[in-house]
Amino acid sequence: MTIILVLLIILTLLGLPLFIALGAGGIYASIESDLDPVGLIIELYRLANQPNLITIPLFTFAGMTMAAGGGPKRLIKLFDALLGWMPGGLAMAAIVSCSFFTAFTGASGVTIIALGGLLYPLFIQSNYSEKFTLGLLTSSGSLGLLFPPSLAILLYGIVSGTSIDELFLAGIIPGLVLLLMLALYSYKSALVWHAPAHAFSLTKLTRSARETVWDILLPVLIMSGIFGGFVTVTEAAAVTAGYALFIETVIYKEIKLYDDLPKILIDTCKLVGSILIILGVAMGLTNLLIDTQLPSRLLGLIENHISSQLQFLLLLNIFLLIMGAMMDIFSAIVVVVPLILPLALRYNIDPVHLGIIFLANLEIGYMTPPVGINLFIASQRFGKSIFTLFRSTLPFLLIMLIWLLMVSYIPELTLWWR
Amino acid sequence: MYFNFLYTIRLKLIKLEKLFAGTSLVILLTLSLVQVTLRNLFDFGFSDIDVITRHLVLFITFMGAALASEGNQHIKIDCITSIINDTLKQKLKQPLLIISSIVCAVFFWHAIRFWLGEYEYSPDNEQLALYLSLILPAGFFTLSFHFFLLSATINSQPTIIEQDE
Repeated sequence: MTIILVLLIILTLLGLPLFIALGAGGIYASIESDLDPVGLIIELYRLANQPNLITIPLFTFAGMTMAAGGGPKRLIKLFDALLGWMPGGLAMAAIVSCSFFTAFTGASGVTIIALGGLLYPLFIQSNYSEKFTLGLLTSSGSLGLLFPPSLAILLYGIVSGTSIDELFLAGIIPGLVLLLMLALYSYKSALVWHAPAHAFSLTKLTRSARETVWDILLPVLIMSGIFGGFVTVTEAAAVTAGYALFIETVIYKEIKLYDDLPKILIDTCKLVGSILIILGVAMGLTNLLIDTQLPSRLLGLIENHISSQLQFLLLLNIFLLIMGAMMDIFSAIVVVVPLILPLALRYNIDPVHLGIIFLANLEIGYMTPPVGINLFIASQRFGKSIFTLFRSTLPFLLIMLIWLLMVSYIPELTLWWR
Repeated sequence: MYFNFLYTIRLKLIKLEKLFAGTSLVILLTLSLVQVTLRNLFDFGFSDIDVITRHLVLFITFMGAALASEGNQHIKIDCITSIINDTLKQKLKQPLLIISSIVCAVFFWHAIRFWLGEYEYSPDNEQLALYLSLILPAGFFTLSFHFFLLSATINSQPTIIEQDE
C-alpha cells in the first residue's frame, strides 16, 4: 500500500495532473477497502445534484467576458480619477481595481495578466520603486478573493455545504480591512518616494464614471439582488453572465460575437473544467477517507495535544499556510475542507468563519514559494525571477499575515451580521 | 505517416471538444436566463431545465478538462518540475500522459458499469437525466483518448496549431 501511495505522491510532484492522482488514489483506496470503484462515479454524479454548481461556469464566464472586453482599462481609469490625487493614489487605484477584478475572475491569474501589464509602466512612470510595484502587482492577483462572487467562495460553499450567501456577506469586512491596510502602506510608501499625484479633476472623474457605470453596476446588482432576497445565488450568476455579455457586446461594443465570443467560451470551459474535474474525482476519494474514519482519528490525535480553540486556530493557520504554499487554492479547498471541517466544528469554530480563515490563508499562499501561483504568473508577465518577486512581496506578505491573525482571532469581523 | 494520422485525429478531437464545450456553455446561459425570467416574472419554471442545466455543467467540466489537457493547463502540484531541467521535463511528459490515459480509461469502464446500472433501474420520470448522464462515460472516454493521442504524438507534434474556434 505504502509503495503505491509513495509512487503516486512522487508522480504528482513530478507534474501528474492532480485529478489523475486523486482519481488513481480513489480507485486504489476502493480496491483496498473491498468496495466497488463504481462508488467513485456515483459520488462524481452527485455533482449533478448540486444546484449551486452552475454558478461556477456562469460567474467565470462573466469575469472572462469583462476581462476580454476592456473592463480592466476602464476600472483603472475610474479609480485613478477617484484616488490618484492622493499620495499613493495610483497604488490605491490598483488595489481597488485588482480586487474588483479578482472577485470576478477567481484569482486565476487573469488579474495579473490583464491588469499587471497595464499598471506596471504607469507605476514606473509615476516614480514608484520597482520593488514596490512588483510586490503590489504580484500580491494584488488574489486580493478580491473574499468579495462576491469569488470562485473560491463558491467552491468552498459547495464542498463544505455552507450557505454561499452567508459566506459572501462574511467576506466583505475582512476583504475591506485588507484593502485599507494595503492602501495605508501605499500612502506611507508614496510619501517617502515623493511619487507625484495628479490634481483632482471632477470632469475627469465624471467622464470616467460615465464610461464605467455599467461595470460598476454589476457588483451592486449582485449584492443587492442576493442580500435583498430578490434572487438566489444561481439566478444572480445567470443574470451576471447575461449582463456582462450584454454590456460588452451591445453597450461597449468591445466584444464581437463571432470573432471574440468563441475564445471567451473556450477559455471559460478550460478554467471551469480544470477545477471541477478535481472536485468530481476528489469527492469519491474524500468520502472513502471519511468512511475510514480518518477525520475522527485526526481529531483524536489533535485532542491529545490541543485543548483550546486558540491553539487550534494557530495550528490551523500554520497548516493552511503550508498547504497554500504547496497547493493551488481550488485543489486545497476540495481536498482539505472535508477533513478540516469536522475538526473545526469540534473546537466550536463557525463553518462560515472557518471558510473565511481558510480562504485568507490560501490567499496568502498564492504569493508564497514554492508554488505560489501569483509568483509564477508575475514572473512570466514581468520577466523577473521568482526570487526577485518573492523579495518584493515580503512587506505585503507581512501586512497580510497581520491581517490573517485579525481575521482568525476576531470572529466579529466575519460574523458581525449575526 | 502513422503519427500524422493520429495528429489529424487529435486536431479533429479538439474541434469537437471545443464545439461541445462552447455550445454547452451557451445553452447553459440561455436556459438559466429563461428560467430566471420565468420564475421572477411569471412565477413558474420548467423542472426539466434544472435537470438539463445541472448536467450541462458536467458537459462543460469534461470537455473543458479535455481541452485543458491539450494546453497542459491542468492544476498540478509541480514543486519538482519547477527546479528540474527542460530535457528531463520533456522526458517525463510521455509517461505521465500514458498514466493519465490509463487512469481515465479505468474511470471510463466504471462509468459504463454505472450507466448500465442506472439504465436498468432508472424510473420512467428520470429518463432525461439517464440519457444526459451518458456524459460520464463519454467524458472519461474523451479524456482517456485525448491523453492517449497526446502521448502518441507529443514528440512528433509537440504544439498544437490553434484552429478557428
